[in-house]
Formats: sequence, structure tokens, C-alpha cells
Amino acid sequence: MVKVAFWQNSDCWGCHQSLIDLHLSLLPVLPALEIVYWPAVVDFKYDSLVAREPGEIVVGFIEGSVRTKQDKEGVKVMREKCQIIIAFGSCACYGNVHGLANQWDISECIDRKYNTVESKVSGGGEPTEHVPGFEPKIVNVDEIIKVDAYIAGCPPKSEQIFSAIGFLLGQKPFPMNDLAFCNECSLNQSGCLLDEGKLCFGPITSVGCTMKCPDAGNPCVGCMGPAKTVSARASKLNDMTKNLGSVSSGDKKTTYEFLSLFLNVPLMAGFDLAADILKQVKKRGAPETPLANLPSDTEAIASNVLAYLRDNRDFTDISTVCDTCDRVIGSKSTMTKVKRDYEGLPNMEDCLIEQGYICLGPVTKAGCGGLCIRVNAPCTGCYGQTEWGVNQANRFADTVLKGFNVSISKEELLAQVKDPIGTFEKFTLASRKGG
Amino acid sequence: MVKEIEVEPVTRLEGHGGLRLVLGDDGKVQDVQFNIQSTRFFEKFVEGRYMEHVPRITPRICGICPIPHHIAPTKAVEDAWGVQIPEPARKLRQLLINAKQYSSHAIHFFALAAPDFLLGPFADPALRNVVHVINKMPDVGAMALKMMDFGQKMCAAVGGKAIHPIVCIPGGMKKALDEDVRDKFLKEIENQVEWSKKTVEIGVKVVEDYWDVVANVGNVPTYYVGMTNNGVHDIYEGDIRIVSPDGEKFDYAPQNYLEALGEHIPKHSYATHMYYKPAGYPEGIYRANCLAMTNCADKMATPLADEALQAMRAKIGNTPHFTFAYHWARLIELVESIEMMAKLLEDPDIVNPDCKTLDVQPREGEGVGVVEAPRGLLLYNLWSDAEGICKKANLLVATNHNIAGIEKTLMHVAKQVFEDKALEGLKLPDPWIK
Repeated sequence: MVKVAFWQNSDCWGCHQSLIDLHLSLLPVLPALEIVYWPAVVDFKYDSLVAREPGEIVVGFIEGSVRTKQDKEGVKVMREKCQIIIAFGSCACYGNVHGLANQWDISECIDRKYNTVESKVSGGGEPTEHVPGFEPKIVNVDEIIKVDAYIAGCPPKSEQIFSAIGFLLGQKPFPMNDLAFCNECSLNQSGCLLDEGKLCFGPITSVGCTMKCPDAGNPCVGCMGPAKTVSARASKLNDMTKNLGSVSSGDKKTTYEFLSLFLNVPLMAGFDLAADILKQVKKRGAPETPLANLPSDTEAIASNVLAYLRDNRDFTDISTVCDTCDRVIGSKSTMTKVKRDYEGLPNMEDCLIEQGYICLGPVTKAGCGGLCIRVNAPCTGCYGQTEWGVNQANRFADTVLKGFNVSISKEELLAQVKDPIGTFEKFTLASRKGG
Repeated sequence: MVKEIEVEPVTRLEGHGGLRLVLGDDGKVQDVQFNIQSTRFFEKFVEGRYMEHVPRITPRICGICPIPHHIAPTKAVEDAWGVQIPEPARKLRQLLINAKQYSSHAIHFFALAAPDFLLGPFADPALRNVVHVINKMPDVGAMALKMMDFGQKMCAAVGGKAIHPIVCIPGGMKKALDEDVRDKFLKEIENQVEWSKKTVEIGVKVVEDYWDVVANVGNVPTYYVGMTNNGVHDIYEGDIRIVSPDGEKFDYAPQNYLEALGEHIPKHSYATHMYYKPAGYPEGIYRANCLAMTNCADKMATPLADEALQAMRAKIGNTPHFTFAYHWARLIELVESIEMMAKLLEDPDIVNPDCKTLDVQPREGEGVGVVEAPRGLLLYNLWSDAEGICKKANLLVATNHNIAGIEKTLMHVAKQVFEDKALEGLKLPDPWIK
């Protein structure tokens, strides 16, 4: 059992919802954790956290922005009690949207909420009884205490959190159920996708999912994680994964999804710690297989896929959201003016920037997998900047003028953005240093 | 001697709250405070933003219910700009908000509330949580997790992200559901409906087991605030409805909210106290959330849920004030949400890419958007300038609508516990989990 604690500053609790969204995948993890503080879920009170010995807790997750004096005190208590502190989510990493309040003096914020609000009838002024008081500005957690690791994202993807916890517990990914997916697959008797020469990771993936992709003719991509045993088709899958370089584009897509869902690899890009498999690949050329106590076929298949990852620059160069976006850069479209998000409707193929919209993909850290862009909404930068201490509006303009179909000048582009702070630093204003 | 009791923090709660009770020499309850200890000033820092960016910022008000906080401001922008949306967009938004209702109600019942009932109120605090429930009742645990998972996956499929969705835009939706994705969900619906019915059975059994508690602890007459669409339960669109303690109903168009909803700014809580303005404060204190919604509704929108509502009314009346009946009402709403999803998934409009009005123009003016979030009424009032920049915002969120009612209920229960010693003679069942 590993002692863990979750501290929640001022925020939305979405990082915890993202953790809970692991749902069934949580089942094998929970017995390994001794949760000693987590107000959203368990009943331990603040006194009990304060009463712990220094360093008694192994891992402390800190979520949220430091808005109140209570937040600041709690962050310091966590540092004292925990061996490893993780800034969990973009609030703890960068201040998130709450940092936008730094544009005003705190008294103006208080005045709007408690004095001038239209629905007010009685009372008013800043509440002061048995409430903690506000910090004058949103200040990042790592300016208050030392932070050992960062998991960015608003929220961080569930799988990314899973990877982090798994790493910290030294055993990832966790095997799920005994049987492999093939046992529950409607194509098990006839029409197996592997028999048709298509990649399908059903032979090593756990049963228990509700979606059953092969029923609709799509391969299993491993989202349930490994099974404790493999099906008879595992050796066939093993052979096929030895030659991933020459597979069809459909099979490549399956492989990418397997990497992210089964091995959590591209998602680890958002986890700034030595466990980041991408970093290992870049440094040493060969990642450690992150599996433990699994069937040998599963190990072999995972190694084959990881070897493909090592040899494929598309993966090792992932650093921005653009690197995980399927849209075409250098498309048939060109930005001739800056469009607002409500204007028209972009097509699903061309780069959103080239279609005229401000999309922060090229200046935002990878890790999300480009979720917003997949539903036709531009990236707004929730995973954080790829470079700090510079003027972010200038950096965006310089970046897109260099590598994208943009026919307006930098000055025109910047002049057409009426809210530069809300557009370029929505999640990171509290992290602005100079620039 | 005056005695103070503090609960710090209140746990299994979304947000930061502390509870303070002051008992006098004579054992009488002198004061009860529910101290909400954090706020982040969204109503201030959305000023100066593009109106269409407000719905991409405000979901961060609540990670458990980000979808209502995405839809309501989008509707407010559309109201301010006079924008109509295509019918497929309306249906996609209904699907999205019902998916959230489903997962949120499942998480509330199983993870936040059930541990109290399944382990009993006097269980070891270290064990009184969902982790222990899952370990001890793996079948129920697995069912609960599959229900939450389905709701969250649907939120992600329609909304782009389950937590902090991005698909709504003034004028409609950025993207419809893909057909193959729709088909996957359709296949799973039947199981989900069955599990929802099973959850209602568990809930009703819990109510029966704890009947002495349900009927006698926290039976507090208040007003209620909710939303109905011509009297029918609706979480996506309709009028604000107020129900008086004796069941009288008053309807207000969202744009007239200031006639109905008053705000008292207390000294001891960062979340303010909302109440029914014509009745005054504190007399007009209301409660929001699911029991308020079922008290407001003439009927539910779907057959199984309406059947469940009638069963509840047969047992506890049309305007019940039992605080513990919230759990029952929540499960009635849970059933409605899965029935709504089933109906919407069958509708061809759900995969219709014609889900966005292309010609959207900003204009100066104010707009109001209202939806029902899983924890209660959610209202956005936004002011736009001619270029579509947000000049001002008033956000009345579910927390505001609940805090005064919660505090009133706490006072009532504190008197029951400390003055009337009402807990001592209560009949409690054997815990399901020992």
C-alpha cells in the first residue's frame, strides 16, 4: 500500500473527475493505494492531514489555483507531509483561467461579485466571517513550494493520470481481467479481422468493455488494457506487429490508438518526469517496456509496437498539439483575415489556422491528442505554452507566418485579435514572466 | 459554556465548505453556518473576452457539471445576439446535457451518497467511501462504474471532451455525432436502461430501510426553484418555476429572472444566498436540485421516469419536503436522462451535419441562458458590445441556489440532534456492508 493524498485548491474538481473517469480501469489500482486525504471522496478531515508525520505520505497530488489563504496554507502542509508533490492539472501548473483575474486588483473582483451584481437585494461587501480571505493575485504552486512533477491539461486525460499513478507505483499498465477480448468477440467464430489481415489487438486486451468495436467492423485498439491471459490468436498478432513499417494506413491508425490507449505512450508527453516514455526514446533510443507480470505474447507484441515507435520520427518528434493533429498543413486554404470562432463552419480536413481561425496548436504542449480540433473547435492552449518568458501573441504570429498558409502580415494578424490576453494566455496568464 | 463544533472540510462535496455550529449553555443551537470557502470571480474575468469564448472558459466553474456551464452561456450569447440554431443542434445539446445528467446522478448516488446508507451513518470514516463499497459489493460497483462510464463517454463523443466540452458555439454545434459512434451507443442503451431501473430499486429499498430517518430527519418546508417546459420536467429549456412550501406554482420567463430571484450577500460564505424575491429573505429561501425539479414538474418527460415519479408521489405526496427524498428524486431524473438519450439517439438529426447557422452576427445587448445543471438551476446573464466583446456577466449557479436552503436544513437538523435528541430513538437498518 502506498500512502497518497489529494489536495484541492480553488478549482473545478475536473482533474478528479478525469481520474474517476478511468472507471473500471481503477479497480486493479485501488487496492494498491492508501488514500489518507481526499475530501471529494473520503471522510478524513483537515486535522488528520496536519497531524501526519513529515514525509509520511509518499505521493501528494495538488489540484487547483491558489486563490485563498487557505489554499496557500494547504499547499505548504502538503509539501511537508509528502515525499513527492505533483502539480496535477493546468490550475496547479499554470494558474489556468483563474489567472485572468490578475488583470484586475482583487478589490475590483470583490466589488463586482458582492456589491454591484444585478440580483443583489440585501447584504454585501467582502465576506469576512469564517472564510479564509483572498490572495491578492493568483500565484503558481511552484512559486510557493518545490514541485517534483507536473501533469498538465485541463483536465489531464484520464489515461495520462493512470500512467502517472502506475509509474509511481512501479507497475504499469495493470492487467485487468483474466480473459482476452476475443472470448467475448462476435467475430470469434467467423469473420475475425486478423484472419482478414487487419490488425486487431483483441488477443491481448482484457474483456469487460461495453463498446465492442469489432461488432461494427472496427478493430479492438486495447482501451481496456492488458488481460492476464491471451487468446489463441496472439501469435498471429505477434507476427503481424513485427512488420509494422509496411502495414496499411488503417492499421497504422490502429497502432497509434493502441499506443495511446494500451501503453499510454503519446499521452505521457504531458507528464514531465523520467517515466515519460517519449523522453526515454529520445535519450536512449530504446524504451523500457512498461509492462509487468504479463503473458510473454503480450510483452512481445508491446515490444514490437514500441520498437516501431522508436524508429518512427512521427512519434519521437511529438511536442506540440499540431504533431497529434490529422489536419493538413499547407492545405488548399489560406488565412486572409482572422475569423472569430462563431463565423461560418470550418471543414474537417484543412488546418484551422489556414481556414482563418486562431488555433493555438503550434504553440501548445502536446498530450491531449488534439481533442478539441477533432470536433472542429480550435485549440485554446490548456496544456500550456511550449516556450515561456516571451510575448505569447508575438510568438504565435511568428510561428504561423513561418509554417502555415497565411497571407496577412504579423501586424495585421495581431491587430485583428481584439482580446489578446484571453486568446493567447487564457490558461497561463498567472505564469507570465516578462514578455 | 458556549460550545463550537466545526466540520472542516465537509467531505464528499464538490467545492470547499466548512460547517460551524454554536451551542449555548442551555444546549440550545445558537447558530449554524455553512461556510463556502472559495470563489474565483468568473463573473469578473470574463469581462473583455470574446462572447464566444465565454462558453470555453466557464465550464471550469465545475468539473463535475461542465456541460451545463458550456450550454447555458452559449444560449445567453445567442439570446444577446438574436441567433437561432438549427433543430439538429438543439437535439445534440439535449443529448449532451442528458448524458451529463446521467453520469453525474450515477456518481452522486453511488460515490457521494450511497456509502452513508450502505455502511450506515456510524461506520468507520476511513471505510465510509465508494472505494470500500466497490470492494465489498463488486457487482453493484461494476454496474455503477459502467453507468458513469457510459454517460461520460457519451459526453466526450458529443461534446469533444467529457470534462470541459468545446462543441457548442453561438449558432449551433461545431460537429454532429458520427454515425458509427451513434451505433455503438445505441447497442449499449438497453443495458443502461435496465441498470437504471435496478438503481431505482436499490434506491427505493434504501428509502424503505431508512424510512424512520427519511420521514423524521430534515423534513424542512421551503420554496423550490427549477425549470419546466410548459409544466413538463426539462433540463435543457423552459421557464423558471418556483413552488411554494404548500405547492403553489409560479412561472417566469428566463429573461425576467430578476423578478423572481433575489440574492442576499452574507458575511460568512463566499457563495451567496439566493431566494424567492417576492417572499423576501429569509422567508423566501428555496432549495434547488432534483427534488426541487420533481416538485416543480407536473410530469416527467418520459414514461418510465413518470411512472417512478408517480410512485414517489403516492408514497410522500406532491410537494414533499423530506431532504432525504432528494436521493429518490435523483434516481427518477436518472431514468429520464437515459430514456431521453435512447430517444435522441434514434433521431436522424443527431447525425445531421447541418447543425450550425453559418451567418452569425454580434450585436450590442444582453442575453439570458438557463439550463438545469445536475445540482440545480443555472443562469447566465451576459452583456455584449457591438463587436461581440463581453462587457459584463452575472452568473447564478447551482451552488448559490442551494446554499441558503442547505443552511436552513442544517439549522433544522442541528436542533433535532442537539435539542430534541431526535436521533436517539431512530430505527436504523442493519448495514448492507458490515
